[in-house]
Formats: sequence, C-alpha cells, structure tokens
Amino acid sequence: MIPIRYNLRSLAVRKATTFATAFGIALVVFVLAAALMLAEGIARTLGASGRSDVAIVLRKGSENELSSGIDDPQVSLVAAMPGVAADASGPLVTGEVVVVTALEKLGAVGLSNVQLRGVPANGFAFRPAARVVEGRAPKPGTDEALVGVRIRGRFRGTDLGQSFDLRKGRPITIVGVFADDGSSHESEIWCDLDTLRTAFGREGTVSAIRVRLTAPSAFEGFQTTLEADKRLGLAASRESSYYEKQSSGTSTFIKALGGAVAVFFALGAMIGATITMYAAVANRTREIGTLRALGFSRASILASFVLESVALALGGGLLGVAGALAMRGVRFSMMNFASWSEVVFTFEPTASIVTTALVFAGGMGLLGGILPAVRAAGISPTAAMRA
Amino acid sequence: MTLFGLAARNLTRNKARTALTVLGVAVAVVTFVFLRTIVSAWTVAADFAAKDRIVTRHKITFIMTLPKRYVDDVRAAEGVRRATFASWFGGRDPAHETEFFGTFGVDTDSYFDVYDEMVVPAEQFEAWKQDRAGAIVGDVLAQKLGWKVGDRVTLESGIFPAPPGQTWTFTIDGIYTATAKSVDRSTFHFHWAYLNDALPERARDQVGWIVSRIEDPSRSADRSRALDDLFDPRDVQTLSQDERSFNASFLAGISAVLRAIDIVSLAILAVMGLVLGNTIAMGVRERTSEYGVLRAIGFLPGAIAGFIVAEAVLLGVVGGALGLAVAYPFVEGGVGRWLEENMGSMFPYFRVMTSDALMALAAVVALAAASSLVPALGAARLRVTEALRRVA
Repeated sequence: MIPIRYNLRSLAVRKATTFATAFGIALVVFVLAAALMLAEGIARTLGASGRSDVAIVLRKGSENELSSGIDDPQVSLVAAMPGVAADASGPLVTGEVVVVTALEKLGAVGLSNVQLRGVPANGFAFRPAARVVEGRAPKPGTDEALVGVRIRGRFRGTDLGQSFDLRKGRPITIVGVFADDGSSHESEIWCDLDTLRTAFGREGTVSAIRVRLTAPSAFEGFQTTLEADKRLGLAASRESSYYEKQSSGTSTFIKALGGAVAVFFALGAMIGATITMYAAVANRTREIGTLRALGFSRASILASFVLESVALALGGGLLGVAGALAMRGVRFSMMNFASWSEVVFTFEPTASIVTTALVFAGGMGLLGGILPAVRAAGISPTAAMRA
Repeated sequence: MTLFGLAARNLTRNKARTALTVLGVAVAVVTFVFLRTIVSAWTVAADFAAKDRIVTRHKITFIMTLPKRYVDDVRAAEGVRRATFASWFGGRDPAHETEFFGTFGVDTDSYFDVYDEMVVPAEQFEAWKQDRAGAIVGDVLAQKLGWKVGDRVTLESGIFPAPPGQTWTFTIDGIYTATAKSVDRSTFHFHWAYLNDALPERARDQVGWIVSRIEDPSRSADRSRALDDLFDPRDVQTLSQDERSFNASFLAGISAVLRAIDIVSLAILAVMGLVLGNTIAMGVRERTSEYGVLRAIGFLPGAIAGFIVAEAVLLGVVGGALGLAVAYPFVEGGVGRWLEENMGSMFPYFRVMTSDALMALAAVVALAAASSLVPALGAARLRVTEALRRVA
C-alpha cells in the first residue's frame, strides 16, 4: 500500500490546480447542503409550531385555517368534549381567526401576503413558549398588535411603533415583538380577536379551535367524539401532524430543486476532477514507473490515485460544508404554498446533512478519479522509466 | 499557419482533456439554461400578460370578496370596454387528491370574451351556456385526469361546503386550448350563478375579482386609479392593477427563491470557469518551452497571450454550442414537457428563451477569455531564456 502522505503531498505541490478543482467541488457541496438545510429549516419551523398534545379543529373539508370557518357557539361545545385538559380558569381552548393581508414587501417589487391571527385573551396562556421579547403586550380589545420576531420590519408598517391599515380608517399599531420558539407563528402578526373579526367581517366565527389534551394519547378519543357528531361538520387533527402536512409541499419543492441542481453541478465538478487527475497521472508517469519497479502492485497504484482524488474531493467538500454552515444566520423568506402567506425560514444543519454532503463529495472524487487511476495502473514500469 | 489555426491545432494535442473540458462546459451550459428557464417560466406569465386588462380585487386581502354590484360600476366606468368577474372556488377532485388545479366560478356571458386567448369550440361553448351545471376545462387538465366532453365530475371545496344533501357535480361541456403562451391550460371554469344560487342568503352576490379590458392600454395606470377612487368612499375598498403588475405581485412571494436560483446559476458559471481555467493553465504549463521557441523566433508577448486566449475562447464556443444543442431538446422535450403537463399552474410555458441561450453563450466566451487571462499573461511575461530552460 502506498502511504496516503504521498498523495497529500502531491496535491500540495500543485496548489493552484488543486485549489481550483476543490473549489468547484466546494460549490457543488455548498448548493446541496444549503438546500437540504433549508428543507430541514422549513420542516423544523413548521414542526415547532405543532404539539402532539394539542388538537386543531377545522371545518370538515378545509385544509388550513385560512379556508375554515366555525361558528362561535361550537367553541364551547368542543371545549366540553372528553380529553380536553382544564386548569383553574376552565378548559384549555383557544378559538382564533386567521386571515391574510397583502402588504408591501420591502426589498422586493410588489405585495405579498402576511398572515394575521386574531388571538383571544388566553392566547398566550395557551402557548407557554410564546412571549413578548420587545415592547409590551397589547391591551385587549384595542387596535394594538404584536409582530412575530421573524417578520418584523420585512413589510411596510410592521416594525415596532409602526402601523398599517386593516381596512380603511382602521389602522393597527405594533406595540410589541413576540417570539415563539422558532415556530411559524413568528412570521405572523397577532391582533385582538374581535378587532380583527370586525375589520374582516368575520363576526361570530373563528377559523380554528385548538384544545390542549389531557395527554397526547387522548387525541383518538377526542377525535372520535368530535367527528361522530355529524351536525357539527368539524374535523380534528393532531397539531403536530397538521403542521407536518403544511410543510411537506414546500420542503419537498426545495429538496427537489436543490437535489436536481446538485446533480447537474456534480457532473460539471466531476469532469473537473477527472481532468485534474488525468493531468496528475500524465505528469507523474516516471514516478509511477518507479513505484511499480519498487514492487508496488497495479492494484495499489489504482487505489492510491483513487484515494488521491477522493482526498481532493473531500477537501472541497469540507470547504463547501463550511460555507453552508455559514448560512445559519441567513433568514430566507418565502411563500409557504400551503398557507399562501410568507413564512421566514432558517437554514438548519444536522449531522446527517453534513454526512450526506461529504459522502456526496467523496462519491464525486471516486467517480471522477477512477478513469485516470485505471490509466495510471496500466502504465508499464519499463516504458515509464524510459520516458 | 495563422495564429488561430495554431490555437485550434493545439487543442487536438491532448484529445481526452479537450473532450472532457468541452463536456464540462456543455454540462454547465445545460444547467445554466435550465435554471434560467425556471426563472423565465415563472416570470413569463407576468411578461406575456395582456396590458389592456385590469384586475380589481379587495384592497386588503384576496380572501375577501367584492359586492357583485361593483361589476356594473366598473362596466359603466370611462374607458372600460368589457368587464367580467370570477370567484375562486377552491375545488379538488376527491378521486385525484394530490392534483392541484384552479377552479373558478365565472360569468357566463363575458368571461371568455375578456379572456379571448382561451379558445373553446363554438358548439361546445353553446352547450355550456345552456347547461347550468356545465364546466369548461383546460386541455392539459382534461388529458391528465382523463376527462372527456360529457363526463360528470364531483368536486369538493373547503371554502364552499356543498349544501346539505347535495354534491358539487359538474358536466364537462367544453375543453379550451390557448393561443397565448402564458395561459394556464389546467384550470376548471363553471357558471358563477350555479355557485351563487346554492349559497345561503347572506353569502350571495359576492365576486372574487373583476377583470376589465380597457380601450387604451397606455392609460392602464390612470384607469386603475380611477376605479380605486370610485370605490374608495364605499364600504369595501379595492386594489386595481394591470394584469402584469397583478402577476408580478405573486412573484414577490417567491422572490427569495428566484434570487437563490439566480445566484446558483452564477455559481455553475464559476465552476465552469474553474474547469476551463484549469485546463488552459495545464496546457500552458506543459508548453512553456514551446512559447520560448515562439518568442525566440520573433513573436511578441502580445501574440503569445492572444494565442492562448484564442485557444480558450475556441474551447468555450465549442462547449457552449454543444451545451445549447443538448439544452434545447432536454429542456423543451424532456423536463419542460413534464413540467407543463404536471405543474401547469406553476409553469404554463416552460421553454428556452432565446435571450437566455444567448446569455449562456456570451457568458461562456467571456469566462473562457477571463479564465485564460492569468495563464496567458504569465506566458507572455516569461523571459525567453528561462522558458527554454524550463522542463515541463
């Protein structure tokens, strides 16, 4: 076996060529890893929004809160069903109204949709992770509102102290910024329930009812009771699976796009690696001949050059992964296809994404290096020494 | 032999490397054209939109509707030739749960006049007009879901639950094709009145949006403002935009994705530049002594540099041409066909724009020249004696 140090030092001799090839591979790995991290961020943001001990109730046939409508009296009927947890002040239930409004997106041409949520007084108590991080909580029953930390200032009138119109002559003022553990609520604006309902002509109805269950296992019983009453026309899902379904479209789209692009890129970078390795073999014909004369077998020459190519690609891969990790601070704002409104996502690295990216890089090195290595192994020692 | 001829001959010296480099450039060009086409296909609806069409919708949000009497006000407004309206039904075919297609309740008499790029055979159109529960669907959608004229389909809607004891059942009376590239051929249209009659009293006589054709396209901004001013004192305010701005506002939602694709398409060019530059640099390094000979017999440094750049540009042009030759059938015949048929609502027209193809070729030539500049200058600066002494 030829020591790997021989290959590493050979790579170091031709710095510029090695770097150019590795950089090409780094770009490929960067694109792949960044796309996977974004898909992970989408899944995690929407995943953080859902809990397994919370059930969300929508009108039957509605796929999201936006298209659902439930009459007020049904909220108390649902609250009285078995499996719903309660504390001193009564059952843990929140009936909220969700609408979208078109606001001017700063830094882009045109309007985009922002989700507004009308939250009753106990909305915060219902979500223990939600808290005001800047400014103050709005006074109930007023035109004051909170903006989610991820979209603050991304649309006109949505930063602390600013205001925008809910409808003509009905401005709401942002008095605080709230955070909710990275969930998609952080891309919403929370208003007073009745203020929002009046402004949007939704008096007497809510979009969705959420109930805290006594335990995650209480869901099936709750769902059976709820859906058995055909007059209600309601359907329940576990909040965690509801948000999982919401995220699958967008994250699949990003994964597919990123994956397809990475495969194309990989072809280009692999060709780059092949060119470099062919040149390396051609330049080292004498060396290879010497190695063969010293008694190294054809197989070990083959292995040595494949290894060199893999080392080159892995170097590029590490560079690419490092670049992708630097994307962690970047906020990516896009429309969530399931809710037709903008949600701000982050790039979330995981160990498996890093592994995938590096294996992908190694694979490129392997495939790119195999033909040149075969040529190297085929060199006859006598002819090479004479060259 | 000319300088250019010499450059061309040099490329045949290491045939394997030249072939690989050309292949690398070609792959990059295919990728670049593909990515640019994604961006173009998304924006195509905005670019091909009729400029004489104005869309009027609820000022605050697309989920709220306008009173139907607004349609008459729009029709009476100055400069408006024809106006129609539609409502978003949000229908799905329970037999094809995962297929998304737009479903609209439209005005029977005026809709296909205002959208005259959607073409329905005359006898099918007449049959639809007579059939209260009739529907007209796009040819792409009909083909995908296996619908024929005369078929009955039942849809479900989350926004409009069917009245108790009934279902939303439609008869396919007509299939439309399109004369313009930007038309989504996967949509489903039925009579707005059929929907309206089935709604409870308080939800009736509402329309999703109003579309008007104006006499003078150059005045669309004025006309839009006039319409919004007209409704401003009323209880529901409106937002009117010409169709192009209306479509562009959808793009704001995915602007980050478009920007990411733009950046990535530049990155592929960077990879290509590295591959090209690497090839040229290797060639130059191996031929250093030859450049010494050329200099010794009287060629000037500029000629040496020019001859290396020419070699790179030639390589780029050949690779670029090969890439375009593959990109057209790949994008238009393979991926594009599939996207138009399966994701028609997003990519109604997925074809290579000539401007994108030209941009790819220009970028290849520019990058080839740029990436060969460093080795070319290096070779030109070599001292003759040193070059001759150097062994590759």
